[in-house]
Amino acid sequence: MLDTKKSTNMTKTGLTLGPVLFNWSPDRLRDFYARIADEADVDRVHLGEVVCGKRQPFTDGVWPELIERLQAAGKQVVLSTLALPYNPRERNAVIDFCKAGELAEINDLTALPTVAGKPFLVGPFVNVYNEGAARFLAGRGATGICLPVELPIASVAVIAAALPEVEFELFAFGRLPLALSGRCYHARLHGLHKDGCQFVCDRDPDGLPVDTLDGQRFLAINGIQTLSSGVEAFCPTPEDLAKLGVRRLRLSPHTVDMVAVSRLYRALLDGRASRTETLAALKALDLPGELVDGFTRGQPGSARVEMA
Amino acid sequence: MSLELVCPAGTPSALRAAVEAGAHSVYCGFRDETNARNFPGLNFSPDELVEGVRFAHAHGTKVLVAINTFAKAGAMDAWKAALANAEKAGADAVILADLAVLDHAATHHPNLRLHLSVQAAAATPEAIAFYADTFGVKRIVMPRVLSVEEIAKLNAAINVETEAFVFGGLCPMTEGRCSLSSYATGKSPNLTGVCSPPEHVAYTEDKNGTATRLNGFTIDRFGAGEQAGYPTLCKGRFVAGGKTFYLFEDPVSLNAASLIAALAKAGVTALKIEGRQRGKGYVAEVVRTFRAAVEAIDAGGTEVEVGRLLSGLVEGGRQTSGAYKKTWR
Amino acid sequence: MAEHFRGELPRFLRILAAPAGFLPLGPALTMAVRRFARRKPAVFDRLGEYGKCSFLIEPSDLDVSFLMVPDGVRAEVKCLRRRASQTADVTVRGPLLVLLGLLDGTFDGDALFFNRAISVSGRTDALVALRNSIEDAELTPADFVGATGSLGKLVDRSVIGGLGLARRFTGSPIPGEPS
Repeated sequence: MLDTKKSTNMTKTGLTLGPVLFNWSPDRLRDFYARIADEADVDRVHLGEVVCGKRQPFTDGVWPELIERLQAAGKQVVLSTLALPYNPRERNAVIDFCKAGELAEINDLTALPTVAGKPFLVGPFVNVYNEGAARFLAGRGATGICLPVELPIASVAVIAAALPEVEFELFAFGRLPLALSGRCYHARLHGLHKDGCQFVCDRDPDGLPVDTLDGQRFLAINGIQTLSSGVEAFCPTPEDLAKLGVRRLRLSPHTVDMVAVSRLYRALLDGRASRTETLAALKALDLPGELVDGFTRGQPGSARVEMA
Repeated sequence: MSLELVCPAGTPSALRAAVEAGAHSVYCGFRDETNARNFPGLNFSPDELVEGVRFAHAHGTKVLVAINTFAKAGAMDAWKAALANAEKAGADAVILADLAVLDHAATHHPNLRLHLSVQAAAATPEAIAFYADTFGVKRIVMPRVLSVEEIAKLNAAINVETEAFVFGGLCPMTEGRCSLSSYATGKSPNLTGVCSPPEHVAYTEDKNGTATRLNGFTIDRFGAGEQAGYPTLCKGRFVAGGKTFYLFEDPVSLNAASLIAALAKAGVTALKIEGRQRGKGYVAEVVRTFRAAVEAIDAGGTEVEVGRLLSGLVEGGRQTSGAYKKTWR
Repeated sequence: MAEHFRGELPRFLRILAAPAGFLPLGPALTMAVRRFARRKPAVFDRLGEYGKCSFLIEPSDLDVSFLMVPDGVRAEVKCLRRRASQTADVTVRGPLLVLLGLLDGTFDGDALFFNRAISVSGRTDALVALRNSIEDAELTPADFVGATGSLGKLVDRSVIGGLGLARRFTGSPIPGEPS
């Protein structure tokens, strides 16, 4: 069943630059996206603060100019909503983002009543673990779904096969977003409460490493979010992706040269570079952690990439 | 209306213990991946559930069946069977999290009362209204991220019942949104109904004491005589920013007993006790104590009286009122 | 922590255990578990695949240890001399009273891990499964040693009395999982 679909429709695999998960200053965001607009080999860029509502007042002002800048460069812009809204300001921000006129990516079902009936995207923070959930969201207007990072690859294939009309996307590069909390770990580490956090998470633009007592690199914290220490590097061949029914990959922004990362992935997806070449080139970059890809191999997510 | 006490039943004998100790409702799950407490040796067969419901109903206690994991792609039959078996057994409600399972239940089991599991992490009026309007959900088990003040505001903005955890294990992470366990072990609450699964837990003695490891990752280390916790990943000791400490959560359990009256005032319908993995002795004691406290509050008892009733439970381990007080964050 | 309990060991059990091999303890326990399996097969259904695992139980205050494969009516228990190097899927070591506390619900699956008096190595999941299965059986210490009638009552009384003491060494928090 998978093979017939594969041969009939070999469109170019899309490449998305996901939302910045870290607390970057407006200036840093401007510089970052200016270079993305001009040089990155991605066709879609997500903007918006998805981790912490407290950061939103600082960045709200930059998005309009960045939308214009990126669209002028030919990128499709998507507005990603907050993953864990709960106070009224945050809830309103989610709804405003969905009504802004750009394509919205929902990361929590708070936004669903607002977007239902028109095309929207579903982010990796929404629990789509099976074809039934995907079908339900598609029925409400979802045209693309970035699946949860821990979803086994076998499930990805089943879901994508069941809904050929939906563009399925996988998280392919960056520290894996593993958990969210009501508690801010950056604040806790610095002896502060979330309400008076002093925005200390801005000191760690790739997240703050969390090691085990035996010195193993394990996780990273980013305010209320916990990420992997390892950097996901899912590097499939175009044939692998066609077999899976996955039509888009997501690169998650880090301080590493994301233009270089985007070019490596584009070459991989276009069949111009092998998996081994791509991984070797990624490894040579200044990454915050080891390359991992266990979730895409039916292993614990922390399993290291095997180069061969 | 009096607060409803919702109590854990990991096994048929724990169910009987909870019922006899005065639970208004018990919650339990089937012995498979359809419930988020899929630990070896726990839970109910369909026949045991039939018997459990019969016993509970004979004592005027309701039975809520947790079918609160996310159905596996291409293999939804186990979840469908769980819904059918819960209805056949006469369950008073099912506790669900997955959109696909909710959709199936609403379509094929219209007479089954639906509760939304904490695993669905619905914390806003908009999300809750969506579940209520779309699937007819009657009650929300609230994510453990809200303060009492926020719960009061939430209750004012929604028209379904709310259920709040008051005692037992505490997830510092938003439930249903956590993949830490699968990052370390390949198994997680959302995928397989287990967190930090025991088959990946190992204790190693060395010259520095006992190391507890989860699939090779050192989660904690203890000297002789130091008390150990179950090696749940987020309750471990780690090194971050030059400090070695319990980064995510201290090895504490939730005890919101002192907030029962405040939760009632905030409009909460039901109080939930965590602990389907706990023994019947523990369950009976906690249930009996909370039942007495709830009745004391109903009778207009003072905080002092309620505090005295619950003081026995505070002995031993360390406890926290969690997110119900904003300073926890 | 073992010394806290040593003096409290029921005399009956001390006599039973002292000269290993003096009493045919292994066969007696094997028969007891098999009898139990015929009486309460549901316990072993609950145990599932873990019934085939071997459990080495080492009371730190006795000179013997027990190797058990709780495979229902095919169950087997061996009584071994201490220090005989023996491997098993899971080894659990601790004062006898605490180990017995696992049987009657004094210590549950979680308390097991908090209680530093017990050390566990090997397949931790198998021990959790055994513990949870036994929990549902409403087993008494007499069932465990295969004693019946007035002897059984004596065992229950003395062990449960000792457990009251052991209780003080446990309790406390648990891993959080939701529903």
